[in-house]
Amino acid sequence: MNTAPAIELRGLCKTYTKGREVVRAVDGLDLVVARGEVFGLLGPNGAGKTTTVEICEGLTVPDDGEVRVLGQEWRGGDDAAIRARIGVCLQETKFQEHATVDEVLRLFRACFERGRSVEEAIALVSLEEKRGARQKSLSGGQRQRLAVATALLGNPDLLFLDEPTTGLDPQSRRQLWRVVRDYQEQGGTVLLTTHYMDEAQQLCDRVAIVDQGRVIALGSPAELIRSLGAEHFVVVDLRDPDRAPEDAAFLSLPDVVAIDRRAGRIECTVASVHTALPPLLDMLEQQRVDLDGLTTRHATLEDVFVHLTGRHLREGGGA
Amino acid sequence: MRWRVVKAVARQSFLEFWRSPQAVFWTYGFPLMMAVVLGFAFQSGEPEPVTVGVVDSPVARQRLALLEADPLLKVEWLSVAAADRALGRGRVALTVRWEEAGSREVLRSDPARPEATLARLLVERRMRAASSDDPGYERPVHEIEDRPGSRYIDFLIPGLIGLNLLGAGMWGVGFNLVQMRVGNLLRRIFVTPMRRSEFLAGYLLGRSILVIPEAFAIMAFGVFLWGVPFRGSLLAALVLVIVGGWVFTAIGCLLACRARTTETIGGLMNAVQLPMWVLGGTFFANEGLEGPMRWAAESMPLTHVNRALRDVMLEPGTLLDVWAPIAALALTGALCFTLAMRWFRWQ
Repeated sequence: MNTAPAIELRGLCKTYTKGREVVRAVDGLDLVVARGEVFGLLGPNGAGKTTTVEICEGLTVPDDGEVRVLGQEWRGGDDAAIRARIGVCLQETKFQEHATVDEVLRLFRACFERGRSVEEAIALVSLEEKRGARQKSLSGGQRQRLAVATALLGNPDLLFLDEPTTGLDPQSRRQLWRVVRDYQEQGGTVLLTTHYMDEAQQLCDRVAIVDQGRVIALGSPAELIRSLGAEHFVVVDLRDPDRAPEDAAFLSLPDVVAIDRRAGRIECTVASVHTALPPLLDMLEQQRVDLDGLTTRHATLEDVFVHLTGRHLREGGGA
Repeated sequence: MRWRVVKAVARQSFLEFWRSPQAVFWTYGFPLMMAVVLGFAFQSGEPEPVTVGVVDSPVARQRLALLEADPLLKVEWLSVAAADRALGRGRVALTVRWEEAGSREVLRSDPARPEATLARLLVERRMRAASSDDPGYERPVHEIEDRPGSRYIDFLIPGLIGLNLLGAGMWGVGFNLVQMRVGNLLRRIFVTPMRRSEFLAGYLLGRSILVIPEAFAIMAFGVFLWGVPFRGSLLAALVLVIVGGWVFTAIGCLLACRARTTETIGGLMNAVQLPMWVLGGTFFANEGLEGPMRWAAESMPLTHVNRALRDVMLEPGTLLDVWAPIAALALTGALCFTLAMRWFRWQ
């Protein structure tokens, strides 16, 4: 049995030309995805996630670097053998408008020598009631589940999901997450791209944060969050932001690790809320500063990204 | 109405158009290109003569040789059967028969044909001019061609079947393929183990089969409603329809093999279809064309589909009679399919 990692990428580079502008979409990216894990590529739009995934899927040819998928290289003479072992859900696929769920799945099932039956695939994504429904009558979430079902038909060893829940309502997202977890429980490997932090935290065993075509952080979501040095935030809104205490006043408090000020709001990174909060409130009272609001929250992968790049994920990759 | 809003929408629509090179080309470039090409093809000069068939006989040779002197007429001397056949197939606009000295000439044509009236006027003018000093001159008798198989509608129905094969085959495949490419469906199929040849062959097969009922519906319509004869082999007609569907779907596939947008494929389809509509022998016989126009018409698959369909509908044509066009069309389809497969772009 081939025990090579599901995906190995070494020094991957890909450049596009848009008019006169040369865009370096992937810039020396290294990555290893182990078998059986759900691996997330996390980053803002334009970070190079989709290009990386498309290179792994054999859709895009890299300018440089090594790519091994399930131990095999694309264009090594047997691409069909790789395709028989992978399942792909693109960012967006428009199936034929008048085709029913059943017909779309039959078409894709015909591509594979072995795999799941159409009935099994429909059951996996809970589309039994929509089996005879045409594309135009499906909701966004149902269409996306159908796309995932087409990817699962060949009973793949490796599943690529490119932003599978973008634009879906919370219920549809949770349904898709369940499909991914079920697939993993059966031994499957998933490479997932997303810009939803909660999705990455909920689903992924490991995450690579990608920015400007490079991996800037790699680890489990918990590890990455721990790398911040503190896992909680106390967010302080002052009635009069001009009277806000100096950074040093906050940083001198026990367990306060860092301070970030945005639009009059002060965000304190703290190791532990219950030890940091009482002295913080005391300090504000001593300085006679009135509070307008106070919230606490856990650190997320978004905070990791902000910590590493100084930007928010939704601000774009700048690549 | 708020002018500011109208202006903003107009501006955006204008910019959207100019930023799409394909739309600009097919809107401005293509018509200009056509104007240049057609300008060369239809440059002013001597008008094309109208072809008339004269039933050959010693008395006709004596009297009707005068028609050959008219530069606007092209005379073909034919037997009775050949003249009828030529009229039915649209190769002559009118036939002239004069069997007996002292009797009146008989002109025969279907007034539904666009060129029939002109031919009749030209022949009558020539004969009247030649008899200007004969006070007893009588105008020729005019017979309307209404025998099944020789009327314009009989000529038209096989042509409409050919035209339908052209439209359904090319648009059905070409436009849909590009839509599938635009909607990422081709990319999605590409990442499965499906081979390019399997996909294209399946797609073409589906579309080719679709055109069979369409073609036979038009055929049945012509036969039962208009009394268009069906004198040849039904098997030959079936094979022709399948091969016709094949060649046009293969051309559609070739045109769509790299097109990225629906504007591009629309333009390409029109560029290929328009000349076939005009010169492919659907509405008028193209055998009389000369020079580059004749060459262009003869190189069009529609010309051969139409002629072969007329052979098996209007004449007792069998598979053996039309094997040559069938083979040529099948090979053309195979060539287009092979090229489409080689150049096909999934994304």
